[in-house]
Amino acid sequence: MRFLRSAAREVIGLFVSDWVQTVVILAIIAACWMAIAVLHVTAFAVLVAMVLLLAAQHIWFTLAEARHSSRPTSPSPSQS
Amino acid sequence: MTQQLFAFGAAFLGSAVESVEALTIVLAVGLTRGWRAPLYGTVAALVALAVLVVLFGQLIVERVPELTLKLIIGTLLLLFGLRWLHKAVLRSAGVVAMHDEEHAYQQTVNELQGAARKDWVGFVIAFKGVFLEGLEVVFIVVAVGGTSRFLPFAVAGGLLAMVAVAVTGLVVRKPLARVPENTLKYGVGILLTSIGTFWAAEGMGARWPLDFVSIFFLVIAFFVASRLAVMLVRRRPALA
Repeated sequence: MRFLRSAAREVIGLFVSDWVQTVVILAIIAACWMAIAVLHVTAFAVLVAMVLLLAAQHIWFTLAEARHSSRPTSPSPSQS
Repeated sequence: MTQQLFAFGAAFLGSAVESVEALTIVLAVGLTRGWRAPLYGTVAALVALAVLVVLFGQLIVERVPELTLKLIIGTLLLLFGLRWLHKAVLRSAGVVAMHDEEHAYQQTVNELQGAARKDWVGFVIAFKGVFLEGLEVVFIVVAVGGTSRFLPFAVAGGLLAMVAVAVTGLVVRKPLARVPENTLKYGVGILLTSIGTFWAAEGMGARWPLDFVSIFFLVIAFFVASRLAVMLVRRRPALA
């Protein structure tokens, strides 16, 4: 059972490292799909926007994690 | 032919990285507790993974409509590739420690020394290591091969990488610490992100200018973005 749980965690972990980032990526893809399939916006413009948005979110979330990693952890009440 | 080579190459590189990690675990078990149990564990894991490739590969190729398949697999590949790229950029910028096979090897040896002296421990650790690392290989092979309809090429790339790493491990009998694993992961991350973006867009019904050649431009775009991320992370003001 523990092995199955660990395998399930591993499978989800293949695609998700940060849930917020995952939601942002899925939102970008959903918006592009809607623009092309529903609103019939010129495909080339959507493709360029999609690549720029994906690249921008990559930079944003990498910087956010770097900032988070270098933040000093506050001491717990028992340590202070 | 370019598309076949692309499927083969992406599967080969992705599989090579994961095979090096799986080999480290098997070597640690084999050299610490003997070879019988870890070899059984490895074979059992490889059989389970082969069943997954056959089941999902066939299901994907035969049952799912092409556009839906491209959108779903493209999105998953994009999430998968961006995860690798994200980690590789943080490693390049020095925020996260580089993956070190010597360290991973020593960690597994330490775990084994604390474990009860029963044969199944070696079997379970080898099975778990090969199966979990192999899941990533299976995903890359099925995603790259299934979506492009070149599954045999992707399977061949994945298998060849596994065999090459296994033979090298058998010869040197120590972790393959000299394989530039972090650089490979960086490259494969960019490649998978680009292929994922390409297929996700095709699944939406969009047509890329220059068709498959666009992937090379996507590779350049994501490479530039990742270098920009590394540069910005390195230049960020240090916290007092």
